[in-house]
Amino acid sequence: MRYIFKFPDIGEGIAEGKILTWYVKKGQAIKAGDPLVKMETDKVVTDIPSPREGVIAAVFGSEGEVINVGDPLVEIEIEGVEGEAAQEVAAEAAETRKHLTEEPIDEKGFGVVGTLEVAGDSAYLPAGEEGRPAPAAPAEAPLKKSLATPVARAMAKDMGIDIDRVPGTGPGARVLKKDIASYYENIQKGKGKPKGEAAPPVSPVEYQPLSQIRKTIAKNMTRSKHNAAHMTVFEEVEVSALVRLRTDYKEKFAKEGLKFSYMPFIIKAAAEGLKSHPVLNSELDLENDRMIYKKNYNINIAVDTAEGLVVPVVRDADRLSIREITIKIAEIAEKARERKLTLEDMKDGTFTVTNYGAIAGTYGVPVINYPQAAILGIGRILKEPVVKNDEIVVGHVLPLSLSVDHRIVDGGDAARFLLRVKELLSDPVSLLLV
Amino acid sequence: MFKKYDPLKDKMLQVMDDDGKVIAPAVKPAIPDDELVDVYKKMQFARTLDLMMVSFQRQGRMYTYPPNVGQEAISAAAGKIMRDRDWLVPAFRELGAWLAKGAKMRDVFLYWGGHEDGARFSDAPNFLPPSVPIASQLVHAAGIGFAINYKKEDSVVFAVVGDGGTSEGDFHEALNFAAVWKAPVIFIVQNNQFAISVPVRMQTVSKNLAVKSVAYGMPGLKVDGNDFFAMYAALSESFEYARKGNGPVLIEALTFRRGAHTTSDDPSLYRTEEEEKKWEAKDPIKRLRGYLVSQKLWKESDDEPLVEQYKKEIEKEFIEYESYPAYKLEDVFKYQFKDLPEDLNRQRIEYEKFLNWKEARK
Amino acid sequence: MKVVNMVQSINDAIDIKLGDDPNVVVYGEDVGVEGGVFRVTQGLQKKYSERRVFDTPLAESGIMGSAVGMCAAGLRPVVEMQFSGFSYPAVNQLISHVSRMRNRSRGKYGTPLVVRMPYGGGIKALEHHSESPEAIFGHIQGLKVVIPSTPYDAKGLMIASIESDDPVIFLEPKRIYRAIKQEVPEEKFSIPIGKGKHLSEGGDITVISYGAMIRDVQRAMVMAKEAGISVELIDLRTIYPIDREIIRESVKKTGRVLIVTEAPTSFGPGAELVTIVTEEAFLSLEAPPTRLSGFDTAPPLPKGEHLYFHTPERIFYEIKKLIDY
Repeated sequence: MRYIFKFPDIGEGIAEGKILTWYVKKGQAIKAGDPLVKMETDKVVTDIPSPREGVIAAVFGSEGEVINVGDPLVEIEIEGVEGEAAQEVAAEAAETRKHLTEEPIDEKGFGVVGTLEVAGDSAYLPAGEEGRPAPAAPAEAPLKKSLATPVARAMAKDMGIDIDRVPGTGPGARVLKKDIASYYENIQKGKGKPKGEAAPPVSPVEYQPLSQIRKTIAKNMTRSKHNAAHMTVFEEVEVSALVRLRTDYKEKFAKEGLKFSYMPFIIKAAAEGLKSHPVLNSELDLENDRMIYKKNYNINIAVDTAEGLVVPVVRDADRLSIREITIKIAEIAEKARERKLTLEDMKDGTFTVTNYGAIAGTYGVPVINYPQAAILGIGRILKEPVVKNDEIVVGHVLPLSLSVDHRIVDGGDAARFLLRVKELLSDPVSLLLV
Repeated sequence: MFKKYDPLKDKMLQVMDDDGKVIAPAVKPAIPDDELVDVYKKMQFARTLDLMMVSFQRQGRMYTYPPNVGQEAISAAAGKIMRDRDWLVPAFRELGAWLAKGAKMRDVFLYWGGHEDGARFSDAPNFLPPSVPIASQLVHAAGIGFAINYKKEDSVVFAVVGDGGTSEGDFHEALNFAAVWKAPVIFIVQNNQFAISVPVRMQTVSKNLAVKSVAYGMPGLKVDGNDFFAMYAALSESFEYARKGNGPVLIEALTFRRGAHTTSDDPSLYRTEEEEKKWEAKDPIKRLRGYLVSQKLWKESDDEPLVEQYKKEIEKEFIEYESYPAYKLEDVFKYQFKDLPEDLNRQRIEYEKFLNWKEARK
Repeated sequence: MKVVNMVQSINDAIDIKLGDDPNVVVYGEDVGVEGGVFRVTQGLQKKYSERRVFDTPLAESGIMGSAVGMCAAGLRPVVEMQFSGFSYPAVNQLISHVSRMRNRSRGKYGTPLVVRMPYGGGIKALEHHSESPEAIFGHIQGLKVVIPSTPYDAKGLMIASIESDDPVIFLEPKRIYRAIKQEVPEEKFSIPIGKGKHLSEGGDITVISYGAMIRDVQRAMVMAKEAGISVELIDLRTIYPIDREIIRESVKKTGRVLIVTEAPTSFGPGAELVTIVTEEAFLSLEAPPTRLSGFDTAPPLPKGEHLYFHTPERIFYEIKKLIDY
């Protein structure tokens, strides 16, 4: 085995040393503790002993040369077993030598006990300013926050009120619990307003403070529209087969404690579509000049709650069965309604499905869940006349609206994805074959 | 012996000269030849281990270490006399005595390598862990001596300190207490003449260090610390004195710290090469070897193979030490109290939460 | 201007005072010939002679107590305790006399001395070489306690400490003795004792710290910035008396505060600072003022050090917890 012994820090505040005399040469047999080389440092001249017994395979650095702590000194062959070459290590050391003066070096500084870190030569702080004629201190930013006791703050938080907007009547304009209570009442009565604004005698408007969810949604929507080049493709799927499945299997599902829904099928179909059209399951990373293709198929589903839209995730939808997806959707929908969703429930989504059609709406232009690449909007299933075998029959049309980030998803990709989804949903048994 | 070598007259007990020739045969202790050779070997082992510790430090495999070089005879003599039932209260520069008392090589590596496990000394009996604040261990020794008397045991305390330590208040309080209590303590002052950079003549203007015993009403003896026979004779006499219930003894072992204070110290700042050379001639191992060779009990040519053999043993042990299991979080807390209080355990739990969070981030 | 580290800037400060005040004397163990085990007093004996800069016998109580006498007789000693962990024999003199002489004599005598000690851990040394006992000194009534975190502050504060007529414990964070280089003016200047300093302005959380921890907090702040958290960092610089105003104004702005100290938790500086925060800015608090301090254990030996001393990641973890409160 080949062992590379590097110039160690020997506790005397040095960063480098000059090789004075080599005591060994290549091919020489040495014992542990035998002196290898005489080094000169800032503080002393000292011999460096060998840590191992063996044969010198290589010697690095020539007499008179200055090397840094951590550079290789010798390569020792121990027990005559072949190992890797030392050339890479030497090259690496030459590389690190370049960097050593730029960063603070972690070495032993001088101290009779212990080891101290020593700063590198080029990294230093500018002087401070006190105690000498100094520039004026920067002006203080005006205070915008309310004064309130922790108890009052807790009360405001529970009521969903931003305490910084409550006018305070306590000492020093402190916000008291009763101030919060009356502020809340005013909101209920529709007369609440932030402090500092004069109220007109009869107000034609009502002010309501923004909830955290609303603020977040607003921010995300702006960001999405601002960055992604939204393009939407519409397609319709004839889903009579799916509807028939429902009629035939509704009860069977109910016996298993599951509610038959089209969403699991749609999610599965979407996951399959993504597998064959990975660009819709990707992310554009402009900062690093690259595309990030995601290997998991984690489908976010938009859930409407009293506070607003939340988008929990069904992970690895491609690997879950219809049953598992059904259960998962029920679970996260419940959590959403009870406001019990955690960060775990929300993160790592790669594609989103939004089912606005559950309420109303056919085609839409959904906003992408940025930084994802696409979002599939599901409209209300319409009972319509359709053409089958050149005859007009009653069909069930599911309107699909696919918004994509046109910077990375071309029209062709979008269309092909929709085609795949359409194939799978119009013939649901084909989902069994994926 | 105490009367003959009166410290007030600055008399020093010495048996052999710098070359190992016996000059005071009357005081030479009777030690069987094979035991003497064994002592010599032990001194060589202690020195080899000591030099290798310095070497390991230079290799970046060991932290700061205080070399013992030049002081081996003191530890060897104490080591030969100490029984299991006797106590060793160490300072930090008496490696040979540690080994004699039951410390394993691994303990030495662990302690200086920064792990508290080392200071358990493999549970060797009657052996306190090193106490870093200088001389603070001496009052402990006085207390142990008290307990020995209290329990009517047959034990003696060997307490070690340096010349610098004789200036600390604890030194004086310890000697006084031990004397008042008639505690069986041998206070061994290794006067290696330097406390880091401060030479002993700046430490005190007393005639020598042994005279300080007079103030406390106990016998004191100045001994040539590099003369194994002298150290053995002095310590044996003190041992018997203390064992018989006569009280403590102060032994000043005059020696020289041939190495630096620690591996990061540079002695050239405060002493000369001349001084160092002068004491090289008085080296303890050199002197005992001189005697043994003259008595045909040893050959100089046997030194190298002996040291080589020791080096191999030490290297092997060291490599094993280097795979000692890593320090665990519970090790930080385990020994603060007999049973970990709830409040302290809570701090450990808080830290573990942080560690979990850190792992999850990866 | 010269670019120096803390060892050099403190050396410079003492040099200046030895030069302009003939009553200043410097002593301790190994401070003269050797220049101190960390070289802080290097060259001073050569420049000012053994009469003014000298080595003493190995005895901390003697060093501290004799300084009390020297002060009464008109000198201004700057003494060294070789490591804060060895100052304990001298604590008796500190509590009983150094801190009380002025009161005891009704102003007739004072103790205008400076006690310098390297303090704090993380340098892979033996037991007693890593202690942070600033709470002990802070609790002794009648002492001022100063802890610089940069070479510039160290020089200004050392000069102020020597010129102060009150006794000052000057704790030098040994871990960063040589780790920071800074431009420091060559002329004499002083920084007032008892004044903290903003090292960064921010709006989300106030972090109060001092000494070697400042650097680790600054590294944590980089992580915080990536997470969108803006930190206001205050370097206390003086542990007693604490600058209440700077703390008050900051907490009013941010509402959240994290105190970071190496010293152990129970009865430590963290506890004092939490109390000050609630006294000064109770109505502005949006989260409990929190201390991140050392375990209530002896600092472990080098092999266990990494588990004890706060890393930037740990500091960031605590910052985040407070932001998410």
